[in-house]
Parts: sequence; C-alpha cells; structure tokens
Amino acid sequence: MNDPGLTGYLILAAFLFACGILCLATKSNAIGLLMGVELILNAANLNLVAAARYVPALKLDGQMFALMVIVLAAAEAAVALAIFLNFYNNRGTVDVDDAKDLKG
Amino acid sequence: MNFNLDLATHPGRVFALAALLPLLPVVVLAITRVMRLRWGRLPGYLAIAAMLGAMACSLWGSWQYFHEVPNDSRWAESTDWIRIGSAKPDTPAAALEIGYRIDALTALLFSMVTVVGTLIFVYAMGYLSEPEASATGQLHTVADTSGSEKYSRFYLYLSLFAASMLNLLIADNLFQVFACWELVGVCSYFLIGFHTERPAAGTAANKAFIMNRIGDAGLLIAMCIAFTQFGSFNIQDLIAAFSGGLPAGMSQEMWILMGLGLFLGCAGKSAQIPLQTWLPDAMEGPTPVSALIHAATMVAAGVYLVGRCYPLFAPEVLLVIAYTGMLTAFVSATIALVQTDIKRVLAYSTCSQLGFMMVALGVGGWVAGLLHLLTHAFFKALLFLCAGSVIHGCHHEQDLRKMGGLRKAMPITAFTMLIGVLAISGTPLFSGWYSKDRILSAALGYGLANPMHMLLFLGPLVVAGMTAFYMLRLWFLAFSGTPRDPHLHPHESPMVMTIPLIILAIFSICVAWGWPLWNAEASKLGHLLELAQPPLNSPKELRERLLAEEYHLMAGGLALAAAVIGALVAWSKYGRRAPSSKQLAEPKGVFAEKWYFDRLYDATFRRGTVKAAYAAANLDKSETRRSLDGSLNGLATGSAWIGSRLRLLQTGNVRQYVLALALTVLGLLGMLTWLTR
Repeated sequence: MNDPGLTGYLILAAFLFACGILCLATKSNAIGLLMGVELILNAANLNLVAAARYVPALKLDGQMFALMVIVLAAAEAAVALAIFLNFYNNRGTVDVDDAKDLKG
Repeated sequence: MNFNLDLATHPGRVFALAALLPLLPVVVLAITRVMRLRWGRLPGYLAIAAMLGAMACSLWGSWQYFHEVPNDSRWAESTDWIRIGSAKPDTPAAALEIGYRIDALTALLFSMVTVVGTLIFVYAMGYLSEPEASATGQLHTVADTSGSEKYSRFYLYLSLFAASMLNLLIADNLFQVFACWELVGVCSYFLIGFHTERPAAGTAANKAFIMNRIGDAGLLIAMCIAFTQFGSFNIQDLIAAFSGGLPAGMSQEMWILMGLGLFLGCAGKSAQIPLQTWLPDAMEGPTPVSALIHAATMVAAGVYLVGRCYPLFAPEVLLVIAYTGMLTAFVSATIALVQTDIKRVLAYSTCSQLGFMMVALGVGGWVAGLLHLLTHAFFKALLFLCAGSVIHGCHHEQDLRKMGGLRKAMPITAFTMLIGVLAISGTPLFSGWYSKDRILSAALGYGLANPMHMLLFLGPLVVAGMTAFYMLRLWFLAFSGTPRDPHLHPHESPMVMTIPLIILAIFSICVAWGWPLWNAEASKLGHLLELAQPPLNSPKELRERLLAEEYHLMAGGLALAAAVIGALVAWSKYGRRAPSSKQLAEPKGVFAEKWYFDRLYDATFRRGTVKAAYAAANLDKSETRRSLDGSLNGLATGSAWIGSRLRLLQTGNVRQYVLALALTVLGLLGMLTWLTR
C-alpha cells in the first residue's frame, strides 16, 4: 500500500473546502447551506488530522482539534436547525432567498 | 485660624478691617432683599454706621502710621491666594497673592475716601427721601414703602462701591487691584443706571461700563507683561525690579507697552482722552452717586494707580501721560464754558481737574498730582452735594438758565458752594490753591528744563483761568441776581443735607493747610505725601524739581493772575448785571458739541459695528447660497448621496454575503502569503 503523502490529503481537503464554499454560494435551501458548512468543517478536520500524522512534533494536537471541531459542528448544527425551524414557522419555507429583511 | 487682630504688632490690619466693614451692610442688605423684607430707612442707617466704623478705623490707623517710622513688617502682610505650579523648570512656582500694604499715600487716600464717603452717605439720606418725579410723571418718595426697595438697593450698591474702593487702596498687588478695579466699575454701572425707569440712565451706564472695559483691556495687557517678565504681581517687587531703570532681559518696547497699558486702564477710570466721554453722561445717576464717583472713588482710582505704579513708567510713557492730561484738561474746560446743566459743568470740571493731576504726574510732580487728588476730592464732593442740594431745592430743575437768585432761598448752599468754587478756582489759602500751585510749578520746572515741552505749563495755565471763569459763571447764574423762573419755588435743604455741606466746606478750606499758611510748599498734607514719594531716578528729574522750586513764585503768580482774569471775566459777564437773553440762548459751536467726540465715536464705532453686523447678516441671507451656507449644505447632501449608494451593498442575500466572506478570506490569505514571501 503506497503512501499518498501530505500533499494528497491537502489537495483533497482543498477540494472539499471548495465544494463547501460552492454549496454555500449556490444553494438557496437552508439545509443545503448547512451541508456546505459541514463540508467546510470536515475539510478543516482532514487538514488537522493529516498534519498531525505527517508532522511528528504535533503529536496528538491535530486529532484533539479535530474532535473539538466535531463538537462545535454539532452545536452549530443544533443552533442553525433551531433558527431554520423558526424561519419555517414564520415564512412556510426554508429558502434563504426569502430572508431579505435586512436589504438596504 | 486665628481671629485675634493683634493690632499691637500689625497695626496695618486696622485698614484691612476698615476696608471690609462696608461689606457688612452689603451682605445684610443682599439677604434682606432676597427675603423681601421692607426696612424703610434702616438700610441707610446700617450703611452709615459701617462707614463711620471704617472712618474711625482709618483715622486711628493713619494716626498710628504717621507717628512711627514706616516699616513694612508692621504695615504690610500678604498670603497666597492661588498657587500655580511652575510651568517651566527654570521658573519658580508663581502665586496669586492677597494682601495689604499701607504707606502714606494709602493712609491719606483711605482716610479721605472714608470721610467723604461717610458725608455723602449721610447726605444721601436726605436727598433720597425727597419725592422725585419718575418717568411716568407720578410723584413718589423713595423712602416710603413703595420706594423702600430702591432705598435698600441704593445703599447696597453704595456700600459695595465704598468697599471695593477701599480694598483697591490697600491692595499690595496688581491682581487684587484689578479685581477691585472691576468691582468699582460694575458698581458704577449699577449706580449710574440706578433710575431703571429712565432709558437715558441705562444708556449712560452702558457707556460708562464699555468705556471702562476698553481701558481695562490695557490694564490686563500691562499685568500680563509684568507677570511674564517678573513672575509677580506684587507692586513693591515690580518697583524694586525697575529701581535701576530698565531691568535686564526686558526690551525697551516691552517697557513702554506695559506703561501704556497701565495708563490706558487709568485713562479709562479717570476719564482721560480718548475715553473721557462716559464721565459727563454718568450724571444720569443720583447726585450723591455723582459726588461719590467724581470725588472719592471711581475717578480717583485711575490717578491713584498712576501714582502707585509711578516707578514702572518709562520716561516716554510719562510724557504721553502729561500730554494726555493737558489735552483732557483743556478740552474739558472749554466744554464746561458753555454747559447749561449744573451737573454737567461740574462733570467737565472733574475731567479737567483729573487732567491737571495727570499733567502733574507726567512731569514728575508726584506729590503735586496726588495732593490735588486729595484736595479735589473734598471740594468736588462739596460742589456736587451743593448742586444736589440746588436740584433738590428746585424740584429737580437742573438747568442753570432757569435758576438765579437762589442765594436768598438757600443761603447755606449758596455760601458753601461759593467756598467750593473758590477752592477749585485756586484762591489763595483755600485747599485747591496749594495743590494747583504745586502742579503749575512742577510743570514750569519741567518746561524750563525741556523748553520744547513748555506747552505742558502753558496749557494748564490757560485752563486754570478757564476754571475760574466757568465755576464762577455757574455760581453767578445759579445764586446771584434775581430769580428768572417765577414757577421755581426753591427752598433750603434739610439739616441732614446741609451739615455735610458745612463739614465739607471746612475741609475744602483747610485740609491742605500748613505753617506758614501763605507758602504752598509748606502744606502739611503735602509733607505727609512726600513720605511715600518714589525716589528720584535721574539727575534730570532732580534738575526739573530744583527748577520748579526756584520758579515756584513765578508759577504761582501766573496761576493766580490767570484765575483772577477768569474770575473778572465771569463777574463782568454774569455777576455785574443780569445775563442777557443772548447769553442764555442754547449754546452752539464746537464746545457745545463736546468737540464732536460723541459724534465721532457714534459715526465710527457704533455705526461701524451696526453696519458690519448688517453686512454679515446680508451675506448670510443672499450671497452664501453659494459660499458658506452652500458649502455646508453641499457637505450634507453629499454625505446623504454617498449613503444612498452605499446602502445598495446590503442586498440581504445570504449567499452573496457568504461569497463576499470567502473572497475576502481568500484575498487576505493571498496578501499574507505575498507579504511573507
């Protein structure tokens, strides 16, 4: 089994991140946005774990941070879902293009 | 704090006590006014009692002072009022001090102010209780219940006036002098405008106040220069710094500027050209106030300060003082020749006499000038109170042309006023003679030593003749002959007014006496003043003084001749026979127009200010649609327009925000990598 090396992981993470941003920028469904956020966070996680694996000085720091991000992602998803639920109660939709009350 | 006065070691404190005594009625009357208590005549008694106390203190203190060797450790004290940290490391911390210093000048002037002040306070009791015509034509008595408010207000201001003047006299530093100076000014404002129902009184009060402000600006400049140069306001310190002429580190221009500033302040207070126009208008105040302003307090302050700060003046400034005084004396005397209002004649004569004092101080006759200040205070107070008695007796008629033959109806007033007239004219053995003689001999000495300044002697000489003329003219018009207006029913004033007149008349005759009587140089008062005289600075001044003594008889003779000529002219025109209707016509010409000073100021300063204001208003209304208002409005509309464009950035579209966020982060990262290359 050959080792893809750190660069491979970083390229994958960058790809995931780009997908996430693209998802955020194009989707109008709130749940879709949440998915894009998950993709971005997991791209970061992949980076952290890969870095910990290939840089010996980091020891377990990368993994620890990845765990932290997962916890935060869960909390963020809970808050975001609560907001969307309320939004749906008020507007009868989860289309974020409807949320334009702050338009200048 | 130790309230023990300790007069044995610090007898000077009695003066400080006396200076604060008139503040007692001020406080009491202010409180009763706030509580709206009506006391009738009590405020007058209270104020008079305080003044009597001050007079007793000052006389006792003067007696003590002149019976021992002058010694600053016993007669001067001061304490810090405000301490100021050192601004620069090489200068010590400065302090504003508050203190008193008694010397012969202060002691004599202080006694004069309290004596004259007390008499005027007493006199005012009688003067104010007379029914007076108000602007609406109704008669009311000032002292009755409706006028009780006025009565207490009058004595409140009068007491404050006296207290400020007394504190000014004992002050040992310029800052304290300035504070009292302003207090005197504001009191004069209140008192000149005392009859608040008369518009003319308000105008006159404003005029006096504003004219004095101009002078005060000069005084303030002089104080700033003194403080920046020497770090002290203490007059004795400043005099010590100037004892050897110009101190090191001070430029000649600075010295002259300081002197001119000081003199401008004094010119404002003492009504010298070009700030003289307020004094005659100040006649709008009640007559006792005129007497107080003209004799004891307001105008005396200016001459006093020149005398007090005498060593601080550069020779050039002294020359300016002398010429200003000469010009004022001459101009005012010519105006007085044609005035028909009894108080206005006296007002212009005050200007003229103050000019005399300034001439004397300018030519180095320090004692002469201040002696004249003292004697003038007595006879001018007498003259004003007599005029007040005439006005009072003639039911508020002030026009000389309607009087005549009053001596039968009011013999005491006529006789005491004659004494005042003789004193101011310089009749030998009357007090005015001693001082005027000295002034003219000092001027002659100066003129002989510097022939190009002979005018400083000739001017006052002519004025002395004119003084005799217009004062006797006043007396003849008012008192001699037969009554010209049958509707005038004159009566003699009550005792409370005539007794001060008699006392002042006695002072007017003999206040300057010495032994031998016929020698003007032997005046006892003059000798006392010499104790405080600043030392001679140069051999030139010494020569002037010696010349003055040498030609003393000549100066005296000429002065007497001038006065006699003036008196004879007055007698032949007004005394010998009744004045013709032509003489009683409305005066015309440059003298009656007061040399156009009022008109000049009106045309330049007053109209100029009004015009400038209108111009500014017009500019604001029309032109500035494009300029000032336009630019400000443009700023506002411009901001609003930019705002209306910028708000379009807020689309409210979440996805655009996310994209902007991502792109920003990307940009930042790119910048970071580019910077850490």
